[in-house]
Amino acid sequence: MNLRIEALAEATCVIPQGRMDFDAAPAFQEAVERLLSGAGKPAAVIIDGAALEYVSSAGLRAVLLGARAAQRAGIPFALCALQPAVREVFDLSGFSRIIPVHPDRATALAKAQPGRA
Amino acid sequence: MASLLRLPALSGTKLRGLAQLVVEGRGPYARAFENLILVLIVLSVASIGVESIPALPQWALRTLRVSEIVIVAVFTFEYLLRLIAARNPFAFIFSYQGAIDLLAVAPFYLGGFDARWLRALRLLRLLRVLKLQTHVLESVVEERTRELQEKNAALEKAQAQLKAELDVARSLQLAILPAAFPARPGCQGAARMIPATTMGGDFYDFIELPDGRIGLVIADVSGHGVPAAFFMAVARTNLRELAARYGDAGECLAQTNEALCAQNPLDLFVTVFYCILDPQTGVLRYANGGHNPPYVRRASGPIEMLDGAGGLVLGAMQGIRYPTHMVQLLQGDRLVLYTDGITEACNPTDELYGAHRLVDEVHIHGGGTPAALVERICQSVSNFAGPTPQSDDITLTVLTWGVP
Repeated sequence: MNLRIEALAEATCVIPQGRMDFDAAPAFQEAVERLLSGAGKPAAVIIDGAALEYVSSAGLRAVLLGARAAQRAGIPFALCALQPAVREVFDLSGFSRIIPVHPDRATALAKAQPGRA
Repeated sequence: MASLLRLPALSGTKLRGLAQLVVEGRGPYARAFENLILVLIVLSVASIGVESIPALPQWALRTLRVSEIVIVAVFTFEYLLRLIAARNPFAFIFSYQGAIDLLAVAPFYLGGFDARWLRALRLLRLLRVLKLQTHVLESVVEERTRELQEKNAALEKAQAQLKAELDVARSLQLAILPAAFPARPGCQGAARMIPATTMGGDFYDFIELPDGRIGLVIADVSGHGVPAAFFMAVARTNLRELAARYGDAGECLAQTNEALCAQNPLDLFVTVFYCILDPQTGVLRYANGGHNPPYVRRASGPIEMLDGAGGLVLGAMQGIRYPTHMVQLLQGDRLVLYTDGITEACNPTDELYGAHRLVDEVHIHGGGTPAALVERICQSVSNFAGPTPQSDDITLTVLTWGVP
């Protein structure tokens, strides 16, 4: 799995590419935690899943921990543009009930504005 | 004259001992002496080069001449010491080194011709030093190799111990799974859990409830290894206890979720499908905490996926409610519960086994006994995966109702 980070004005996007499994999950978790604890805190954190092909249960755990850390920091956290197979994993596990999932990045950015969520 | 001759004879042994100490010993004196000789050999050879420079000033020529005398004196002294130190002086004189050492000084005494280039032969002694260094290096390498081997052996031992402990943990994990489905007329059940190479956290359970109904659990803990196995044991124990107290499937999952959230230092979670079968009526009530929805193979043929999926996994968040759903089993229907170790089994070309292959197997071979179907599906997954190592636990439970 590769990770790209894009800092935009409205939010910082984390873009995982490939498979987020047991081996890749710690890198994702670390990246999100670093974003949240860094000097310039983002207005929101958006996980863009357009290039994410697979999420294992360890990957789900990493996303859950990221969402929790964001909540503690008072920063909106959302997923967007999930591929159908990944979306199914989030739906089946019930994670899409507790973490906002948007169809695309534009919607996610619009909804992620603090106070407008 | 006799006394003069006797004197060296008397102290001969002592003298030889001293000489040996200097030229053959391994102490600091011997080493200093050896180094001095080596430096002089190099200087003496170098002086040939310097002397060949045309029109050297008088003082330089004189210095060279004096140094030549000193060098020859030291070499002669060394030669004599070696001669004295040798057990057999004749053997030394005619030995390779003895001959070269003699040739290096003899021309000076004989005069007439300059044979200092012969001393270049003495440079061969430098080789001896190199050889000594190589020997030292070799022994250092040997020492290090031995240390490494010792450390490797210690590591291997520790690893074997760890593996033995993991094996024990894994057998314990397998041992807490129920061996047999509770005996009820008209009901049959079979189950199998095949642990992955790394310790996983799948489990299944059959629970005899106080009111005579049977609880069935299939579950998959997130992650791998010892943490997952521990969490599995905690989840299984809590669920078993709470199932006896809460007769409603959804309420039981909600209570188990609260218990797991309260004791979850590693932030793990578990997907759980829990159903309760009334063996008298075939009514199945169930709740789903983030698990793959099971299939019902109707005796009449169709295969249905149980709805009500999408409840949150257990252990992730407090205060979650799980709705209880109901399905009526008819005579000869089969219920198939599984974990994603089956559908996500990979073959060598990275293809997934997938739900469609599972459904095909259930469709074709679902008519036999639960044990036969379990065996059939496990075999099919194993054939599909081939040599690809099993990365996740594989768990499967099959239940039939209404078969006499």
